[in-house]
Amino acid sequence: MDRIRGFLMRPRRPGANVARLRRRKQLAAYLHRNLTKLTSALFIIGYAWMLLIPIPLLSRGTYIDENALQPAQVNTYWNWGNVHTADLQLYQLDGIRERNFTSEQRAEFFRTEFSKLGLAASIQNYTFSTSKGTISGNNAYAVMSSPRAAGTEAMVISASWLSTAGHGALNLRGISTVLSLAAFLKDYSLWAKDIIFIISDDYLHGMHAWLNAYHGTIPSNLHTDPLEHTSGVIWTALNIDYSSHSFSHLGVFHEGLNGRLPNQDLINSFRLISHYTGGVPMTVYDHLEPSDAVDRLPEQSVFPSWVPPFIQQSPQLQQYGYRVRNVIRHIGYQARGMCSGVHGLMHQFRIDAITLFAVPADGPHGFHALGKIVESTLRTMNNLLERLHASFFFYILTSPGTFMKIGMFLPSAILVSVAMLFKGLGEWVTAGWVCEMSEASLKGNETEKPSPAKGTWRNRRRPLLSALIVVVATHVLGVLVFNLICSRWFAKYPSFLAPAIFVAVSVIPPILLPLLSTNAPEAAPTSMLLKSSNLCLASTVISIMSLLNFSLAAMLAITMGVPLATSYTSSSTMTTHLRYAGYCMLAWGWLVLVPGEVESAIWNWEVLGVWFAPFICIVYAPLVMQAAIVCLQGS
Amino acid sequence: MRRASIWIFLACLCIPSFALYRGEIYSEDLRIQPLRDGRVSTTFSFITVLEGAVPRNPKALGQLDESQHYALFPLTLGQILREYAITELHLTLNAGKWNYDNWGHPHEAGVGTGAELWAWMGASEVTTVDERWSGLRNALSGLFCASLGSLDSRRTLSPTVAFPLSGSTPTFAPHELRHASLPSESVCTENLTPFLKLLPCKSHAGLAALLNPQKVFDADWHGMGIHVTWKEDTGVELKLTLQAVFNPVRTSAGKRRDWNLQSLFDRSIERSCPVASSSSVTVILPEEKGYQITPENPAHINGLVIYDLSSSSNFTIPSNIAMYWPSEHSFQYPLPPLTPVTPLSVKRTIHGTTQTRGVLSISVTNNSPQEISAGYLEMMPALLTLWMHTLKVEINSQIRSDLLSGLKYHPPSPQSNDRLSPSMLQAVLTIPPKTTLKLSMEVNKAFLKYTEHPPDAMRGWDLPGAVFFPLPQSSHDTSSSYDWERIYTPTLLVDLPTPDFSMPYNVIILSCTLMTLIFGSIFNLLTRKWVVVEIQE
Repeated sequence: MDRIRGFLMRPRRPGANVARLRRRKQLAAYLHRNLTKLTSALFIIGYAWMLLIPIPLLSRGTYIDENALQPAQVNTYWNWGNVHTADLQLYQLDGIRERNFTSEQRAEFFRTEFSKLGLAASIQNYTFSTSKGTISGNNAYAVMSSPRAAGTEAMVISASWLSTAGHGALNLRGISTVLSLAAFLKDYSLWAKDIIFIISDDYLHGMHAWLNAYHGTIPSNLHTDPLEHTSGVIWTALNIDYSSHSFSHLGVFHEGLNGRLPNQDLINSFRLISHYTGGVPMTVYDHLEPSDAVDRLPEQSVFPSWVPPFIQQSPQLQQYGYRVRNVIRHIGYQARGMCSGVHGLMHQFRIDAITLFAVPADGPHGFHALGKIVESTLRTMNNLLERLHASFFFYILTSPGTFMKIGMFLPSAILVSVAMLFKGLGEWVTAGWVCEMSEASLKGNETEKPSPAKGTWRNRRRPLLSALIVVVATHVLGVLVFNLICSRWFAKYPSFLAPAIFVAVSVIPPILLPLLSTNAPEAAPTSMLLKSSNLCLASTVISIMSLLNFSLAAMLAITMGVPLATSYTSSSTMTTHLRYAGYCMLAWGWLVLVPGEVESAIWNWEVLGVWFAPFICIVYAPLVMQAAIVCLQGS
Repeated sequence: MRRASIWIFLACLCIPSFALYRGEIYSEDLRIQPLRDGRVSTTFSFITVLEGAVPRNPKALGQLDESQHYALFPLTLGQILREYAITELHLTLNAGKWNYDNWGHPHEAGVGTGAELWAWMGASEVTTVDERWSGLRNALSGLFCASLGSLDSRRTLSPTVAFPLSGSTPTFAPHELRHASLPSESVCTENLTPFLKLLPCKSHAGLAALLNPQKVFDADWHGMGIHVTWKEDTGVELKLTLQAVFNPVRTSAGKRRDWNLQSLFDRSIERSCPVASSSSVTVILPEEKGYQITPENPAHINGLVIYDLSSSSNFTIPSNIAMYWPSEHSFQYPLPPLTPVTPLSVKRTIHGTTQTRGVLSISVTNNSPQEISAGYLEMMPALLTLWMHTLKVEINSQIRSDLLSGLKYHPPSPQSNDRLSPSMLQAVLTIPPKTTLKLSMEVNKAFLKYTEHPPDAMRGWDLPGAVFFPLPQSSHDTSSSYDWERIYTPTLLVDLPTPDFSMPYNVIILSCTLMTLIFGSIFNLLTRKWVVVEIQE
């Protein structure tokens, strides 16, 4: 203790404090002098890093982290007799499709099929009310109580009526797999967890209604009765999507709502099981690896057709191109908060789930391989003593066998965000100083430009109020726009209202701006303060988002990074107006340019609760609009 | 020849001992009931009666006990009962979820998942009831190889209304109940072996010879129970029960529900237990026709077929009792709508997805045309806090608070060892005929210290099932003729806020760094002397 006290109370050299303060001042001055260089370097490194995300060097091989899983270590019992059951089910389902059964009739059929197996089966009716009217449907589900177990944990196998493949493709083979698996799995006493079979209506909303009813978190726009049969806590789930005649690969879709991902152990165990038990290679999405894609159709090639052949044939570039496709697809799902399949609805309930997508091909695999793989995967999931927690929750799957850890991709967005922060702080410091020319120097050198070196620097006030008013007003405007596009009118007349809203939000700021009291001439101009606060705010948003949803943060860094950092007040009216229009396009242009995306984002928000639409309206667009107002304020 | 002579010699040794301990009667029984979902429920009960015996008076615990000489009654258990002066004891170890809707009420009511132990003990000044309860738990956990030792004060309660004395009440002392349950206890061979050792013939002869662990533990549901009761007119009765629900449709090749003793147990009764005063197999016949049963027995009484296996009867041993449905190709499951077999069916879940709060909801359906009043008992470990003000009783989304009466709630109370006892909620629910009553209340999940988490922290915590019990007849009018026993709901798994135990060092390092930075800068600001320093440019 005495030594510590002695150390703290030790006599200082008299000049030490002065020297330290001077050093600090010099460093700050150095940084400020080179601020442009520093931020440019950070921007360049950040964006270059984003481009480098797909290179194989930054990825590493996947591995199983949870010892209990023991993937592909069991003998499977699924045989050709069960394949025959699945074929019979498929025959019946084909009949259902031809006779155009209604949703109720279909659900009743599935319920009867499950009841014939002696499972506790039931139907769930549900209705969602959205701005575009009501959506209703019927889910059929069955609970297989595991023998000897308390039924406190459960696994889910599900298939939706519509397939991920789109174009109204029906997931008939996926459903017959679920039905025949139900008949097969109940004959074994080795299950330690209950198994829940779900055949959900439509594509996404059926499962969403079921999950909400199961967990008792029924949103206000959903009307459904409590489920008749329940089981324990669901830990893991597999969603089967098999719409084509046969398949060559099994694709894994893993993105969930609002950027959630399942534990990587699930994907890794599935990959091993698919490879070793079923002999089916796994792919990420429906992208075939370059080595597999040799005899594929041109549209499945990694590169577009205009790329010169020497690039198309280079294995390294092919590999890079393949990974670029995977990463872009991943970012496309994750940044928009969309789920890439029915499994994605489960992540919000702490259920680790993936979709197995049978990649359409002429062969060679079918029910036999799929049944074996699903059985073995269920056995692996059955081994779990705890929730999946050991492996990664933040990753980018660049190829089936490689992934990127968070530390390998996160810095790219963070660097851009840091650059914006430096820029904003630099602007704040600049706003606090004004260079005053002495009378003599002004008179003496009228021809020369007044250089700051000859003037004297003076502190000035930085009243933030007017800048803050602009910030608050833009965000309030964002809330208004968001309410408007979620209203029933917008759903009715989107083609008229979307351009109208776009024009309104672009015209309102220039009209209202003159009403804003500008800062006194001796104080810092509002535009500088607004730019500073805008950059700091945007930087904070990006760095926070990067922890929740990297893809969204990367997209924000790309769309907001340079534009926000380069907003300035121009002296010419023409450039000012052009720049303002550009920023308006960046902020609200999506209203006019991508009406389909707008519609799906609103649907996702209203039905599935995806935060993308409110985020864009309330956070992103107002931030860009603030940069637009910075441009206006000079004129 | 030589072996036979040894047997004769042993038998001669045994005969005088029967004469000596005439006060002990042993009888065994097996009830087999085919269920409507193709399963077969079997209940073994082995009853030993110590005639004229009286439980030990706890006031005499300090004195030397009378000597214990038993021929049939298991000494190991007898010693425990005398040592801790237990008047009544019930221990059940079950695996699986009893499906009341399809299987009806079990022959032995105690079917709660996991381990359940309750004992009635006389109070005395010599040693407190809690001390003896702790000793009893540890002794039984040693005897049955079960984790009963962990049924400590965090799980012990005294719900006297739901678990009354089933025998007579001794007059020598006021009696107290201790009840605890452990839903996560799993039951397996290591529990069956000591169970069989308590039987006079072990598993060598008599009905117990059928108890093949490989088959019993493959059953859809299995459980064993030890029940010691005292009745004033007969004495101390020890009833060992073993129930199992087999699924012949699953195990047979043709998916048929036919069963016989050989196919169910993969063993047969070679010889009867010589000390058993009675030994019988009772088959409860299903209501629908179309079955055949062998061997043909004329004694059909009230839908029962009774086979007497005791050595005195002329029934031939070995026997294989079989039941089959000759006209059925493979078993067809009954299709919905299925009305539950029991008049009362109960479902219980915890809703909500967060780790901090949830909603405990119970739905009770009365399937009978009469109103049923049922006691509802919730024994919740202090992991969950029940919020009584959020308790809602609803029928078809309409609040019906009038259907809930006699509400008693004991919040968790701190014990001497700094642990919290469970909370106990007890109420009487009146369920109108053919309706579903929903009861829900909000719960808070406890934030535990990191040392209190189990090694498999990410699994969650098992919560014991709720109990529905018939009310004592006195407070209960005779209009409801439904005669029933306790109903246990399935257990629940609840996720509590769990730290990331997979990387404790990362977490410790990160949080310590953060703490140091925050503390350091604030400490610096608080202790620094602020002076003006002139810097010459």
